[in-house]
Amino acid sequence: MHPLLEIRDLSFGYDKGSSPVFEHLDLDVRQGECIVVKGASGSGKSTLLRLICRLNIPRSGAILFKGTSVAEIPPPELRSKISYVQQIPQMIDGSIRDNLLLPFTFAQGAHKTAPDDATLERMLDAFYLHEVSLDQSALKLSVGQKQRLSIMRTILTGPDMLLLDEPTSALDADSAAMVFSIIERLNTEEGKTLFIVTHSDYQPAVSQVRSCTFRNGKLECA
Amino acid sequence: MNQIIEISIPQLLLALLFILVAQITSLVQRLGLNKDITIGTIRTVSQLFLMGYALTFIFGAQNLWLTLGIFVVMVFSAVFIIRGRVKEKQISYEVPTFMTMLSSYFLTALFVSWLVIGVHPWWEPRYFIPTAGMVIGNSMSALAISIERLFSQMRQQRDVVEMKLCLGANYREASSEIFKGALKAGMIPSINAMMGVGLVFIPGMMSGQILAGTDPLIAIRYQIVVMFMLVGSTAISSIIVMRIIRRRCFGASEELLVTPE
Repeated sequence: MHPLLEIRDLSFGYDKGSSPVFEHLDLDVRQGECIVVKGASGSGKSTLLRLICRLNIPRSGAILFKGTSVAEIPPPELRSKISYVQQIPQMIDGSIRDNLLLPFTFAQGAHKTAPDDATLERMLDAFYLHEVSLDQSALKLSVGQKQRLSIMRTILTGPDMLLLDEPTSALDADSAAMVFSIIERLNTEEGKTLFIVTHSDYQPAVSQVRSCTFRNGKLECA
Repeated sequence: MNQIIEISIPQLLLALLFILVAQITSLVQRLGLNKDITIGTIRTVSQLFLMGYALTFIFGAQNLWLTLGIFVVMVFSAVFIIRGRVKEKQISYEVPTFMTMLSSYFLTALFVSWLVIGVHPWWEPRYFIPTAGMVIGNSMSALAISIERLFSQMRQQRDVVEMKLCLGANYREASSEIFKGALKAGMIPSINAMMGVGLVFIPGMMSGQILAGTDPLIAIRYQIVVMFMLVGSTAISSIIVMRIIRRRCFGASEELLVTPE
């Protein structure tokens, strides 16, 4: 059986001729695993996540999702199966409901049944957002609230794997604790495969966790 | 009908008084525009004289290929001017812009001079070149505004575009708001011109015809055709060019290629 994600001999550099950010990177990620990648700024942590969902294109090497090259999967389909959550959460100018249902307005999500208000409200509670209402403007939320909403919105599309790019870097300690708690529940209760990039000392309290570190353009995993 | 009153060279020089007023204003207010006003004046006089002689030659030659050649040069110059205004270094857009402008403006000018005005032959330079000139000039401004807006908004809203891509949007869905905004920004001046025409201003072509002795009721018919033609040609060329450029802003995996400068 294939690992959920296989990274083979992956190299990346921004411009032709420039020195590579990293080279010959290999990694297998199994279903239900929680990979935590650490490393200094500019080491290529976020770039690795962007390469997996093809927001950037590698210089060489391959990334396989369930045995198929990610380059061969139509991008909207790929990105709804492997969802990337940005470091700084982005909202459209509209209500919280508009933002949560945004993926269902795209052709890729149009055939899926959009959750009703009761479901959304239950989920808001589970994401520590009991104090907000669905009709409230999403742009007026705090960064911490936006980050939790952003993860919730991603979960609604039913991805197999979540790529979390420094999910707590812009948050205070309380907000960060809430996000960590959500992340751990997603892995332990819903079985989501997680790929988390961080430069904090965070170590998820989950059973299938594996820590990796970028050092001198190489990824070293425990 | 009134005879055309020819403007003599001394009368033409008298018009320089207006430039003198502009120069004095710039000096008194310390606007620093004197050099630009001088260059602008010299360019206006020399370019228009050159154009006058060129048009006299072209109208006299009655040659299809010469007429089409002038048309190509006009479109090429328009793309060059757009390039100067847009200043985009990352995404190349000049060739599709040139090809689209060339084909859509040719069809518009052909439609107007052949079918609406009914000139024979369809390329009669006295009709084809001024018609093409108006279409190119107007759409050039619209395209420059739209293209510049598209690139600047793609950069400014890069994170929002990527957020939508990450939620399963295709490149068209991820950039639809930016695309519509840029298209509208380019088209609004042509639409506003239709609102104000005849009330706020008398368009240049109609003024020219009236000054040249044409019956105002004939001049307005030409102007109506021109106004409709400008809105239509701007819409067609903008939509085609913008769709091509928007696709170029994304790679084969629908990843956003426009990065912060």
